[in-house]
Amino acid sequence: MKLTCLQENLKRGLATVSHAVAGKSTLPVLANVLLATDGGRLKLAATNLEVGITHWIGAQVQEEGAVTVPAKLLADVVGNLPNDRVTLTLDARTQTVKVECGRFTSNIKGIEADEFPTIPTITDRDPTASLPPDVLREAIDQVVFAAASDDSRPVLAGVLVRLRDTRLFLAAADGFRLATRTVTLPEPVAQAAEFIVPARAMAELGRIAGDSEGPVTITVTPGGGQVLFHSESTELVSRLIEGKFPDVERIIPQQYATRSVLETAELAKAVKLASLFATASQNVVKLTMEPGGELGPGRLIISANAAEVGDNTGELDGMIHGEGGQIALNVKYLSELLGSVKAAQIAVETQSPQSPGVFKPVGQDGYIHIIMPMSIR
Amino acid sequence: MGRTIIHVDLDQFFCACEEQHDPTLKGTPFAVGGRPEGRGVVASASYAARTFGVRSAMPMAHAVRLCPELIVVRPNFPAYREASQQVMERLHALTELVEQISIDEAFLDVSALGEPGEQVARRLQATIRAELGLSCSIGVAANKLVAKIATDVGKSMARSGALPSAICVVPPGEEAAFLAPLPASALWGVGPKTADKLAGMGILTIGDIAAWPLEDLARRFGQHGEDLSRRARGQDDRPIVTERAAKSISQETTFAHDVRDRVRLEQTLRAQAQEVAAKLQRKGLMGTSVKLKIRWPDFTTPTRQLTLPQPTDEAEAITDAALRLFNQIWPERQPVRLIGVGVGGLGTPPRQLTLWDASTPEEEARQAKLREALAAVQARFGAGVVRRGSELGEEQE
Repeated sequence: MKLTCLQENLKRGLATVSHAVAGKSTLPVLANVLLATDGGRLKLAATNLEVGITHWIGAQVQEEGAVTVPAKLLADVVGNLPNDRVTLTLDARTQTVKVECGRFTSNIKGIEADEFPTIPTITDRDPTASLPPDVLREAIDQVVFAAASDDSRPVLAGVLVRLRDTRLFLAAADGFRLATRTVTLPEPVAQAAEFIVPARAMAELGRIAGDSEGPVTITVTPGGGQVLFHSESTELVSRLIEGKFPDVERIIPQQYATRSVLETAELAKAVKLASLFATASQNVVKLTMEPGGELGPGRLIISANAAEVGDNTGELDGMIHGEGGQIALNVKYLSELLGSVKAAQIAVETQSPQSPGVFKPVGQDGYIHIIMPMSIR
Repeated sequence: MGRTIIHVDLDQFFCACEEQHDPTLKGTPFAVGGRPEGRGVVASASYAARTFGVRSAMPMAHAVRLCPELIVVRPNFPAYREASQQVMERLHALTELVEQISIDEAFLDVSALGEPGEQVARRLQATIRAELGLSCSIGVAANKLVAKIATDVGKSMARSGALPSAICVVPPGEEAAFLAPLPASALWGVGPKTADKLAGMGILTIGDIAAWPLEDLARRFGQHGEDLSRRARGQDDRPIVTERAAKSISQETTFAHDVRDRVRLEQTLRAQAQEVAAKLQRKGLMGTSVKLKIRWPDFTTPTRQLTLPQPTDEAEAITDAALRLFNQIWPERQPVRLIGVGVGGLGTPPRQLTLWDASTPEEEARQAKLREALAAVQARFGAGVVRRGSELGEEQE
């Protein structure tokens, strides 16, 4: 194998696939990245057996071939090279890759490409759907953090993806909160589908979509065991999580007693201040909604109280309709939610201290975020 | 409208449980408690043993000297708790207003039953005897203070060596007259010190307290004096507290022989902290302060306490605090008779509700219907007939 490519492209490509490199594995080759010539391009691939990412960059191929090299070392070496042409040459006998750039030469010992697991690709099937990358990226960013970070209930460590007609629906819930996002697609999906993607893979897909300009296509394997996301220069394959996702429609309350509309940025600031105290008292912040009269706006009061540290109270003006009331929430959930909302205003719908708080960015109907309260007695 | 309060006290409860377990004990002098060789004390003495002067809380070694043929039975607390729970269930069957004050004592507010208190008491006593084979004494009065004293008075009138099985009723309006002849020390709040002080004033009976000018009692004893005066006249408006909130949870150990070894003392503290943490977790509580109690061989019992930065129910945090306090208070090699750890400032920590806690009204109605149907099936065919599938799986394994 012998080829030449640009340092910049190689660096970006290695960064893209690096998220699929296995951190710790009994299989040493999984800590490596696959380098392979592929029809006049250089293919980079990594997999941790749950997620596989493949990325292609332009290259001048002089000699075909393939090898795997330690991903981290290669990325570190390339990252420190000047922005110039890089030549990669494989010594087939020693499986050592020579990396030449400007006046620098490195030799990196690798493992034969045959030992690298085959990352499945789906070529014999039409994509299930095709999605605009920016929309996909935003939708993923708004739900993926609500997925469970542990595997105690496997389906909750995933993101539900539902494709039907011209709708993409994503949902994630760790048991204490639920984020759902509905996106209207420019054209109907080829085939309706519903599956659960591990949240880690979904976060990767979000990053890939963010770097992509063309549409991202989705293809589900016939058996339903895997899903392939394909953008112009990157492919992500992930195993799917088996099981039934909770019935999210049932969880979303259909009514409210109080609806408060607030400035997102003001609310985020007040929440940040309260969080400095809440962290010392089980993360509890209390939101008190006081409805406005005929003449003035209502008020939202945010307070946190830590017995040993101190306390904080913040007041915001807002349009508050309904009964008013109080709800106690985990400040971590509240800050993560506010971090994902770009709309200038956010509506908070509440019923009782024991019922969920429902958050909806104003002007973005497709996003609903639910946080269960903390019960304080 | 006056209240009717019943105080129920099981007669020689631990001994009664042991007699059920081993009927040959009946009528013999025996005591439940620790071994006389160690530092065991009498937890409960049979009425036959009481005729020898054996009393609760007396060192077992002393009890054996008083009654050489005394049979010492090691306590079986799980069995007592089980029996106690059975009794409490009978009380709850009568009214929701039950305040359990110890393993063998409880108050009931039976005002709403609209029946004379004595009649309720007789029925209750008969039920407990018939269904559980246990004897109890009952006081009936218009408040908790007088009802409890009534039980004690009823018991004290029993024939020596026999189960009292007493019922003592104080009719409304006669509280002060009932209390008047009793010794001042029978009143709640009159400990040895107060009793001495009262005796110095020539006050010997509860009636003497009631007759003493309130202003003078208040001047001498402060708020406590006012309380005493009010109680002595038989006044008490404390309600039945149905769920007793624990103020602190603690664990202590009296060593059979004084201990001066640091490792052993620290190990004991660790084990106690573990136990306290487990209790907190079982009760769903967290505490904000940790208290260390230590008793030197001369019986002085200093305590040290510190406040935690955050409420906790974790063994590690409790252990750390207890060891810090221990190091402050313990001079190296000083013999220790008793050591204990407690957690106070208890509260219910905020609980994060889950999405599945939020049920729609329809779901709520469905669940209620299911519960009803289950109850009906169980009432007809027995509690075990309907079980969760998951339980069956476990059984097969």
